[in-house]
Amino acid sequence: MAAVASHQLAACITCHVWNADLSMVAICPNNNEVHIYKATPARDSVWEKVYTLQQHDQLISGIDWGPISNKIVTASHDRNSYVWTFEGEAWNPTLVILRLNRAAISVKWSPKENKFAVGSGAKVVCICYYETENNWWVSKIIRKKHSSTVTNVSWHPNNVVLATTSTDCKCRVFSVYIKGVDSRGDANTSFGEMKFGEQLFEVCDVFGWTFGVKWSPTGSMLAYVGHNSTICFVRVLGRTATPQVVTLQGLPLRDVLFLSENRLVAGGFDCYPLLFLGDNKGTWKLARCLDEHKQVVRHVKSGSQVCSLTISCSSPYRK
Amino acid sequence: MANPLRPYLTCIRNTLTAAMCLQNFPCQDVERHNKPEVEFKTNAELLLNPVLICRNEAEKCLIETSINSLRVSIKVKQADDLENILAKKFLRFLSMRAESFQVLRRKPVQGYDISFLITNYHCEEMNKHKLIDFVVQFMEDIDKEISELKLSVNTRGRLVATEFLRQFI
Repeated sequence: MAAVASHQLAACITCHVWNADLSMVAICPNNNEVHIYKATPARDSVWEKVYTLQQHDQLISGIDWGPISNKIVTASHDRNSYVWTFEGEAWNPTLVILRLNRAAISVKWSPKENKFAVGSGAKVVCICYYETENNWWVSKIIRKKHSSTVTNVSWHPNNVVLATTSTDCKCRVFSVYIKGVDSRGDANTSFGEMKFGEQLFEVCDVFGWTFGVKWSPTGSMLAYVGHNSTICFVRVLGRTATPQVVTLQGLPLRDVLFLSENRLVAGGFDCYPLLFLGDNKGTWKLARCLDEHKQVVRHVKSGSQVCSLTISCSSPYRK
Repeated sequence: MANPLRPYLTCIRNTLTAAMCLQNFPCQDVERHNKPEVEFKTNAELLLNPVLICRNEAEKCLIETSINSLRVSIKVKQADDLENILAKKFLRFLSMRAESFQVLRRKPVQGYDISFLITNYHCEEMNKHKLIDFVVQFMEDIDKEISELKLSVNTRGRLVATEFLRQFI
């Protein structure tokens, strides 16, 4: 299977995200701007740049587009984060008080979009929520749990549990239930009684920096990759985690994406996506490569990696 | 023609391919900084194990990797004093023009003759396999260059000596 279409939007794209109906894509062309393109899946269409979001003053490292609220959140190495709302003709930024003293690395909206999480180089995770009385986004910080940069964050579909990967080789799962923001009903999860910032469990079966954590659509599986060219699938049952590590032959992976409960796509430094399949017993294996290697090498002009994978609302991943 | 250097260079090429998995990584210690971790070595967890590839005692290559940068240090073969001085002069000449090579380090790592510093920015701007080709090609050429220089110095020396000694005949 080869790529349906390829568009050269920039020499290097650090992060990208699709909107709810797949009609637009926001990318960061490896600088302090976000470019929003009108995108069509047709093979020979030309993608037109419609908006440029300029507010950050260093590289933008994370971006997410809420499918329900149609808000964009960006995180940047300048330690700031902005929430962009589309009003009339333009995208208006609102500064988020992250209270970080190092770069923000990644950002993700929660499934209900009332909160978002920011992973950072300050070895902390910020959980941000909107405070209506003050009319701004404030953050609560999970401190002293990570011993290195938090590379990625992922929300459990229940909206109150967050998984993180870090360069200290571990994957951790936290409770991020915030009283007053989340309803009382949300507190009742399969993880039992929990309070904000509590570490539910950690997985340390990978001996390399960990990246690209994702929950499966139902939240019963967790997958992340390690820089020692491994991918780890974790079956989660309450607070117990059963990891399965699959070692690969090629270069390390960077990010994963669940297509369904038993299908997963992963991409990385080999510049082609890999498909993994899980069987009935819950054992995962590499199924095949989703692109012809030679073709990719020719297409990737200067790039050296697939740095993130996203998918739109049309898949079960976002529903 | 089988090149005796081939297995050594292939080994370096494969190691570089595996090591050159770099990414943008802002500094954890200083606000709003972004610097090659392999040079500062302030965070042990961001460094990988260095790889030393030796052909023999005189010819070796050290590859040090971190999350956002990679350092390749090369010790060039020097069989005698003449090769030693030629290598020193020639590599000094190159190091002084480090900017034009982009990936060349201005000063070699201690114990080595020349060092390259490759960061994630180089990988973003340039093709990864071309970068590796450049380093390997450089290593291949440097030996050739030095033996050619040695040859021309010897030829010139012989010529000068012949001219000089002719007056005594």
